[in-house]
Amino acid sequence: MGVTEARAYYDEAQGALIVSGDWHAESLAEWPVLPDSPSHIIDGAGVTQLDTNGAWMMLAAAGWQVSDPLPELRAFQPQHQAILELVARHSGSTAMEPGPLHEGVLALTGRGTLVMGKHGLGLTNFIGHLSTELIYLVSRPSQWRWREFGAQLNAVFVGAIPIVFGMLFLLGVVFAYLLGSQAQQYGANIFVVDGLLLAILREISPVIVAVLVAGRTGAAITAQLGTMKVTEEIDAMTTLGLSPMAVLVIPRVLALLLALPLLVFIGDIAGIVGGMLVTHEQLDISYYVFMDRVADVLRLKTLLVGLFKAPIFAVFIALIACRMGLSVARDARSVGEHTTSTVVQCLVAIIILNAIFTVMFVRLDI
Amino acid sequence: MAEIVIDVRDVSISLGGHSIHRDLNVSVTRGEVIALIGGSGTGKSVLLREIIGLLKPDAGHIDLFGQSVLDSTPEQMNVLRRRFGVLFQDGALFSSLNVEDNVATPLFEHTRLAHGTCRQLARLKLDMAGLLPDAAKKRPSELSGGMRKRVALARALALDPELLFLDEPTSGLDPISARAFDTLIRLLADSLGLTVFLVTHDLDTLFSIIDRVIVLSEGRVLGSGTVTELKNIDDPWLRDYFAARAPEGVNAHGN
Repeated sequence: MGVTEARAYYDEAQGALIVSGDWHAESLAEWPVLPDSPSHIIDGAGVTQLDTNGAWMMLAAAGWQVSDPLPELRAFQPQHQAILELVARHSGSTAMEPGPLHEGVLALTGRGTLVMGKHGLGLTNFIGHLSTELIYLVSRPSQWRWREFGAQLNAVFVGAIPIVFGMLFLLGVVFAYLLGSQAQQYGANIFVVDGLLLAILREISPVIVAVLVAGRTGAAITAQLGTMKVTEEIDAMTTLGLSPMAVLVIPRVLALLLALPLLVFIGDIAGIVGGMLVTHEQLDISYYVFMDRVADVLRLKTLLVGLFKAPIFAVFIALIACRMGLSVARDARSVGEHTTSTVVQCLVAIIILNAIFTVMFVRLDI
Repeated sequence: MAEIVIDVRDVSISLGGHSIHRDLNVSVTRGEVIALIGGSGTGKSVLLREIIGLLKPDAGHIDLFGQSVLDSTPEQMNVLRRRFGVLFQDGALFSSLNVEDNVATPLFEHTRLAHGTCRQLARLKLDMAGLLPDAAKKRPSELSGGMRKRVALARALALDPELLFLDEPTSGLDPISARAFDTLIRLLADSLGLTVFLVTHDLDTLFSIIDRVIVLSEGRVLGSGTVTELKNIDDPWLRDYFAARAPEGVNAHGN
């Protein structure tokens, strides 16, 4: 391509913009310096190439506004003149727009609050829908989706056992190790068992397992339901007379409701085993002594507090994940946004609920 | 002698063990509006993908603007790509960008213009594609099928290509939108001097805006010419094809 750049200068004597060269998008990186006042004549005798991008730039260089009459086009080749006229006809919506406003902290806070309110409202609405569906299904046991429930339970529970066991085992190791190194200084070795039991059973196992399940299963549910929404599977299901609530949501909620307490229990065992190994190595507490101490100090209450939290976390994770999945808009970006939002909302819900439970149990003397 | 813009010579390709094209020859001269037709599975889309360099044939030569598509370096291919625009079947708009930025993307990538200017040029293209200004800030998911096609057309036109490829431009549109889209394509082709190569099933498109039709059958070009010329070809598929459109007094069966 013979590179003759686009050129333009203002001829004061004629009051005309003299343009020449190749006018297209790639030749127009640098703007010629031009007078402020609009030119009423454009002289295009020297123009060798012109496309619509070039034509728009040429009109802009002449200072032409959509509301003004078109400048006199002098000595243009006929096809160039035609393109300039075509572009002028279609320039109505190309006025420079102000850039987006930069929002301050206050505006962002307000917006964030509104989003939180919207999610709260949406979740309440979703729970209402789900409840009416549940009431409907209670009297029709044949419409329960046991097969789907089984498949979900397999994915949520069986698949998560190794990671739950591994994580809680290591957390038990770390916790017992740190506690042990402190207790050793006071000769209070045996109390490490008390501390370990209380921490693992009451707090660490339920919260960590819930966080894991939120990241693992919650995200998967949103992505799956969201993609089904994008491909119109959910609409198809509705038109076939299948309720997405009964077919998709309720089996998932029930599977999580059953799986999470079981996973927490597995986590409890893993944490205790991890702590037991460390106390044996570090503090010379034999396995027999450890188990004897567990039997002495472990009260059923400690275990139940942890197991009581699990189904509540499970319901929140399942409801948030299903709602976000079903409210995906029909594009790929939305699936990603909603999946992220699910994980964030689940984590926030778990932390807040856990704080409420802790305060509540202390006040109630449990 | 008009310049030859697309030149496909002796191209053969087989995909998944099936021979799709056997020694296929197609050439298109500058300024023509060409339609490629053929039954399902005759390799219309494959030919389109070969020409724009997305698929490599097993044998043969493909030239665009006199330059070989198959032997070009990636840099040469990039220069070539700026000279043609492609409209994919379902629009293939980027769902994470709004309409205006979808159209401005080729300008962002291939020119050194300021982003504000690119967006203004994008709005010019949207207006030429017949979209109202308020569509510019919408997301592709908020648009109807016809509007998505128009946005895709605007994006294909962003860099002012000399050659436009359209893959089933009117599929999925209602008859009124489809005819309006046909008219738009012809109008733009005439006013911008474009060469248009479109793959279609739509008989109305053939009858309204096409200069020349190329028929693919069994891996080869069965015939090429105006619609009237094609009707004289004695081929069962072509007969059935034209018979599908009874009205307008066209006596497709010849009886």
